[in-house]
Amino acid sequence: MTADLPILECKGIVKGFGGAPVLKSVSLKLEIGTVTALVGENGAGKSTLLKIASGQLRPDAGEISVRGEQLPFGDPRAAHRMGVAIVPQELASIPDMRVYENLFVGSELKSRAGLLDRRRMIKQAREMLDVFEVEIDPQAVMNRLPVGLRQIVEIVKNSSKGAKVLLLDEPTSAISEREIEGLYGVVRHLRNQGVAMVYTTHKMEEVRATADRVVVLRDGNLILDQSMKVTTDAAIVEAMIGRELEDLFPPRAAAQPEVVLSVEELHVTGTAAPVSLQVRRGEILGLAGLVGAGRTELLEAIFGTRTSDTGTVHVAGRAVRRESPAASISAGMALVPEDRKGAGGILSMSVLDNGSLPRLSSFTTGGWLNNRNRAKSVGQAMSSVHLRSRGLSQSMETLSGGNQQKVVLARWLTGHVDVMLLDEPTRGVDVGARSEIYKIITELAKQGMAVIMASSDMPEILGMSHRAYVMRAGALVGELDRAALDRADVQTTIFHLAAGLGDDVSSPTALTDTTKDGFS
Amino acid sequence: MRSVTPKGSVQEAGTTVPSSEVVNAEPARFSKDWLTDRLLRNSMLIVMLLVITYFSYRSARFGTVDNLRTILIAAAPFALIALGQTLVILTGGIDLSVGSLIALAGMSSAWVAVHHPGQVWMTVGTALLAGLIVGSINGFLVAKVNVPPFIATLGMLTACSGMAYVIGGGAPINGLPKEFGNIANTAILGVQIPVLVMIVGILAFSVMMRRTSYGMRVYAVGGNRVAAEIAGVKASRTLFSVYAISGVLAGLSGVMLASRVISGAPTLGKGYELDAIAAVVIGGASLMGGRGTIWGTALGLFLIQTLNNGLDILTVPAYWQSVIKGVLIISAVAVDVWSTSRRRR
Repeated sequence: MTADLPILECKGIVKGFGGAPVLKSVSLKLEIGTVTALVGENGAGKSTLLKIASGQLRPDAGEISVRGEQLPFGDPRAAHRMGVAIVPQELASIPDMRVYENLFVGSELKSRAGLLDRRRMIKQAREMLDVFEVEIDPQAVMNRLPVGLRQIVEIVKNSSKGAKVLLLDEPTSAISEREIEGLYGVVRHLRNQGVAMVYTTHKMEEVRATADRVVVLRDGNLILDQSMKVTTDAAIVEAMIGRELEDLFPPRAAAQPEVVLSVEELHVTGTAAPVSLQVRRGEILGLAGLVGAGRTELLEAIFGTRTSDTGTVHVAGRAVRRESPAASISAGMALVPEDRKGAGGILSMSVLDNGSLPRLSSFTTGGWLNNRNRAKSVGQAMSSVHLRSRGLSQSMETLSGGNQQKVVLARWLTGHVDVMLLDEPTRGVDVGARSEIYKIITELAKQGMAVIMASSDMPEILGMSHRAYVMRAGALVGELDRAALDRADVQTTIFHLAAGLGDDVSSPTALTDTTKDGFS
Repeated sequence: MRSVTPKGSVQEAGTTVPSSEVVNAEPARFSKDWLTDRLLRNSMLIVMLLVITYFSYRSARFGTVDNLRTILIAAAPFALIALGQTLVILTGGIDLSVGSLIALAGMSSAWVAVHHPGQVWMTVGTALLAGLIVGSINGFLVAKVNVPPFIATLGMLTACSGMAYVIGGGAPINGLPKEFGNIANTAILGVQIPVLVMIVGILAFSVMMRRTSYGMRVYAVGGNRVAAEIAGVKASRTLFSVYAISGVLAGLSGVMLASRVISGAPTLGKGYELDAIAAVVIGGASLMGGRGTIWGTALGLFLIQTLNNGLDILTVPAYWQSVIKGVLIISAVAVDVWSTSRRRR
């Protein structure tokens, strides 16, 4: 399935936004039936390159040809006709419509009378999905599907329209480990059919698992373009960040004996069983599990933004009123939610205003804001996490993902925090900022905070935690201490616990007693 | 006009944080980019100046103190409901009930004026109370029952309008005592009370939105309700309060209007809510919430009022006035949207 003719060729692509160069003469050739991983930190120019290659953006210089034929710029439909399709980072599916409707929207099948031929569309949709060996009901409503399957539907939609080049912009940024396997299957299948794919990602494992070739962009320059057979992980990471990555995870300080957070029999509304856990001062507790295992729900219930039926939460020995975020905050709890854009920061507000929100009352006298006071205190918090911004007046929406996350984290540091609840602290954050965020988390623990960190990123759980729980269906199904986390087969153990694949696996300290029905 | 953050905080903030790393500085002062940026940022102010210049050039009567007074007195009842509307729109909601709430408040205060003559404060109190009750119902429906604001306030629009007719038995209330007319027709230092109330209101609300924690909570809830709750803001309480405030201001507006014409008419204030919403939107607020300023609303309000006045002076027929106003509202917002997207790029 190899041919010498490049199916897509980018030559000397230059692009800048408002005077700031994003791509500085990037050239790239794609061959039939290959997967090219396009990696680089946020802002390296990956998405911009894909948008240019798919005709959405017009480059300042350079040209793109598909099988020798020049691609007209600024005309996505022409690109589509020539067989170049893009699956964007933000899904373009229509959530309230059914899977088959999503597959056929824009090219609906009609009966002779000119009406929609739903039966034929459903049938064809099933055939299209079957090719990829994924079990998706064509009549399912799109937003009932997990994100991973929606992503696959999106890929199927684009590739079925005869795409020869498929550009996938961070297809895994929002999906769980198990769903990723399904995605890999689809990618391999398309490769065997001769489709050339570009796949952007932050994660090394994905590059290893799917790509034939890796291309690294940094600050708009192409730094590395090598076959996966000859390159090493270290070389790729070094090319991405321009320096050798010192150990991504900083060393952990020992936890102190005092229990700071004590959750007893907390029954999150809608789950099967109550949950109990304790976190000590200086301890980082990892929460692993598949998407939908109830990690977010547990954190939200502890913090009080989600309802719970029974149970108690104590911080430093004092009971905290349930279902009251304000009470939790004054008791010394802080929550950094999963979705920065949806729940973390308020994008329309400045860094200063976002930074002062959680402790608004400490910056006001009789309702009046003390601007000098809050600018000083928020400024200190932000510089303690090395926020890169134009100043506190910069609007949140113009910050990069990593910096937004730093704001959402640092805004709690203007006051005393005993318990820090982190939900996917590094999702969508590039490697450089990621290691900074790890340092911040470790530092906070060292200062005596109890940290709970829910994460789908296995290395993150393994690298950061003093101790970890695995969650499934809202319950804690296994506990792993540091020794267990250091075992070679720990990933398999966690996966089996998380997926509920039975107890034939050696699970060192499985907590059968925390679930009333147990796990069999 | 779409300035996102309160300006006062911005300037102090920028100077007190030497330690945070500076990247991507703003365009240099007086450069071409800087000038374009400034012009786009103040596009609405420029439109306003052009309108004023045009009218002054066409008519000598336009630029007089007397005429300014006319514009201000006409603007006052709109200004009060536009202030409340700004708060509601900042939270991502809308308050359609204020127009007919003006009628309800006007009618109830007129009724009190007839039945308890001489009790001027009681008439004002009744109007404010009517506003508070209706606003609280709106707030309760939106914040606690989670009825979409459009629906809740649309329902209240109809209900209040009906109540206004019920109070007068379907007819206007006339023959009000002279003292009732004093509320809105008295001048202090040559400035009529409604104009004073308007000026004080604009100043007070502007300070409130920029300098108090309440103002920040309103912006936060409108910008992202979930995120605001995680940061400890009691979002439903904030939501409730903006509707209550909007109601009270509509009540005040109602008694002012009724007092000015010394009669209670059930058609009073009809359609005012749309002009108030237009003023807020022209002022750069986003109907999605989180963006907008009191000054923007004030500017939008005076743009509409200046147009009304100027077109009247030029004796443009009323129907054409509506057409011109409609086109201007759309183009003003279109320019604003365009310039905002241009600046973001």
